[in-house]
Amino acid sequence: MLFRPNPSSGVPIYLQLMEQVKHGIETGALRPGEQLPGIRPLAEELVINPNTVAKAYRELEHEGVIELRHGAGAFVSGQAREKKLTDRLRAGQTIVAAAVERLHARGVTDEEIRRLFEAELAGLSRSGGERG
Amino acid sequence: MADTVIIETADLRKHYDGVEAVRGLSLQVPAGSIYGFLGKNGAGKTTTIKLLLGMARPTSGRAHVFGLAADEDRASVDIRRRTGFVSDDKDLYDYMTVAEMIRFTAAFFPRWRADLEQRYLRAFALPLDRKIKALSRGMRTKLALLLALCRGAELLILDEPTAGLDPAMTEEVLQALVAHVAAEEMTVFFSSHQIAEVDQIADRVAIIDRGRAVLTGSLDDLRESYRRIQLVFDGDAPEPAFRAPGVVRVRRKGRVLTVLSSAGAERILDEARALNPVSVDVVPVTLKEIFLETVTVED
Amino acid sequence: MLWYKSWLETRWRFVIGLVLLMLSACGTVLSYPQVVKLLPLAPTVQASGEIGRRVIEAMELARTYRGFVWSEWFRQNMLQTWGLFAVLLGTGGLLSQASGGGALFTLSLPATRSRLLGVRAATGLAELLVLAFVPSLLLPALSPIVGQTYGIGDALVHGACVFIAGSVFFSLAFLLSTVFSGVWPPLLIAICVAAVLRLFDVVLRDLSRYSVFGVMSGETYFRGGGLPWLGLVASAAASAAMLYSAVLNIARRDF
Repeated sequence: MLFRPNPSSGVPIYLQLMEQVKHGIETGALRPGEQLPGIRPLAEELVINPNTVAKAYRELEHEGVIELRHGAGAFVSGQAREKKLTDRLRAGQTIVAAAVERLHARGVTDEEIRRLFEAELAGLSRSGGERG
Repeated sequence: MADTVIIETADLRKHYDGVEAVRGLSLQVPAGSIYGFLGKNGAGKTTTIKLLLGMARPTSGRAHVFGLAADEDRASVDIRRRTGFVSDDKDLYDYMTVAEMIRFTAAFFPRWRADLEQRYLRAFALPLDRKIKALSRGMRTKLALLLALCRGAELLILDEPTAGLDPAMTEEVLQALVAHVAAEEMTVFFSSHQIAEVDQIADRVAIIDRGRAVLTGSLDDLRESYRRIQLVFDGDAPEPAFRAPGVVRVRRKGRVLTVLSSAGAERILDEARALNPVSVDVVPVTLKEIFLETVTVED
Repeated sequence: MLWYKSWLETRWRFVIGLVLLMLSACGTVLSYPQVVKLLPLAPTVQASGEIGRRVIEAMELARTYRGFVWSEWFRQNMLQTWGLFAVLLGTGGLLSQASGGGALFTLSLPATRSRLLGVRAATGLAELLVLAFVPSLLLPALSPIVGQTYGIGDALVHGACVFIAGSVFFSLAFLLSTVFSGVWPPLLIAICVAAVLRLFDVVLRDLSRYSVFGVMSGETYFRGGGLPWLGLVASAAASAAMLYSAVLNIARRDF
C-alpha cells in the first residue's frame, strides 16, 4: 500500500513515510481507525530499516496523526483529529494549487516550483526544520 | 537497549609492512542499529573488521566488542561466539557441500537456529547436495549469509555483503537483513562502497577515508543538517569568507557560488544574502554527495 | 566438526598413501621367491662403488627372510613412501587457504588458533600412525603365502620406529606450512631437507644407524642391539618442538 521511499534523495526516509501516511489520510486512502501495517512487515516490504519505520510511527503519534496501541499495532487517529488535519491540509492544498497554476501561467516549470518552495522553507525554518 | 554500545574503537591503528591501513579510527556502534561503514576500496574497512574479530592485532589503540577487548585471545573467542561474519571474498570450504557446510558451522554454535536455517534454505533456494566450488557467487553469498544469520548471534559483521551481486539478488540480501533485524535483537555493522544500500537500510553511518573516520553520525541527522546552497550572481561570483560555522566546501564557477554546509544553513544563508545574489537555492544533499565531498580525490 | 574438516582435507592423501603402501607390502612379500632364485648369482655381481656395495649388502641380507623384509621394506620402500606421505600430510592449513579456501571463515569461528592447529596436527599424526602400522602388519599376514613367517612383534616395533622417528618430517612440513603460504614451498623444502639428510647417510655410512633414517628403519633393533631409544626420544622431542613453534607462529600472525 505504501510506496517505496527514495533512499537517495537526501530527504530522511522517516519523513517520506510520514508524508505518505498523511497524504493517505488526507486523500481518504487511509480512514480513521484503520490499522497501518506493522513495523516488521512494513520494513520487510519496503526493504528499509525497521528503526526508521518505528521512528516515523513515533513522530506521527506525537503529532496526533496515528495512535500506537500497545500490543495491537498502529491505527489512524479517530474522527476529530483527522478532520482537523484534513481541513487544514485541504485549505493548504487549495492555496498551493492556486499558486502552482499562477506560476505555470508565468512559465515556471515544475522543477523550478519545487526548488522555490524548498528554498523558501529552508530560508524560513530554524536549523531543526519545521516538519508537519 | 539504545544506550549500550556494541562496538567501540578508540584511536585504533594498524600497520602492515610499512602500510598504515588504519590510522586512528574512533567510532561507536549503538546496540540495535544498522551501521553502515562507507569508504573507498583500500580505505581500511576490511582491516578494521579483521581487528574487531581478532584476525589481526592492532598496532595501537583499543577496540571493544560487547565490552570485551578484541585483541585478547579468550575475549576474542567470546566475541566470535556471539557474532556472525561474512567476509568480502565470501570464501567457504570448496570441497564441502552446502549441507556439510551448514552442519559444520552449526556445531560451533549451541544457539543455532534450526528454524531460521529452514527458512533461509527455502528463501534462498540453496541446493543442499551441491559442492561449494560449484556454486555461483550469488549463491555463495547467500550461503555465507545463512551461516551468519542462523548462529543466534547478537551482532552481524558483514564486509561488502552485496558486492558482485545483481540488483535483484542485492535486494534479496537487503530484505533478508532487514527482516532479520526486525525479528531479532540485532546490531548490524556492514562495510560497503555502495552508497545506495547504505542509504536504504542504515540508520547510522561512518565514512572512512585513508584509515580514519572522517564523518560519523545518524544518517537522518546528516540528511537534515546538510544543505547545498546555490547562489547565482549578476557578475562573477565573489570569494566570500563565511564566518558562520558548518561550511564544508565553497565552489566558485563563473557566476555561480555553491556552498556545502553541514549545519546551520540558515546563518550561512543570512551571510549569503548579504552578498546580493540574483537567486538563492537551498536543496538537500544526498549521502553520495556528502561522501564524495568528504573523501579525498585520488591524484 | 574440526576433525571432520581435517579428515575431508586429508582423506585422499591418506587413502592413496595407504593403498600404495599396502600394495608395496604385498609386492615385497610376493617378490621374495624371485629374489631367492637370484641369490646364487651374488658373487658374479660386478657393480663397483657405492651401488655395488649396496647390491651386495642387500643380497647378503636377503639370505634370511627377516633380513630381506628389513632391507627391502623397512629400510627402503616403506621409509621412502611413508616419508613422502608424512611430508604431504604435513602441508595444508590456514596459510595455504588464505587466498581462496575459507581461512577468514575459519578464523571467524569461536575456536582458538591453538585448537585449529592442534586438530590438524592430531589428524595428520593419526593418519600417519595407520599408514605405519597397517601395511607393516600385512607382512606377518601375507608371509605364509610365500612359505615364510614374519613376527608380529617385529612388524609392530618397526612400525613404531617409522612413525616416531619419521614424525619429524611431518612436523617439519607442518612448521613450514605456518611460515610459507601456498602448498608447494613447505613441500619442496621438506623434501630437500630429507634429501640432504639421506646424503649424510650415504657419506657417513658407519653412523647411518643413528641418523633419522637409521632410527626410522630400526636398524639397531634389527641387528639385535635393542631399540634405538635415544633416537626415538630425540625425534619425538624434535617433532614436539617443531609443532609447538608452528602453534606460536600462527598465534601471533596477522591475517
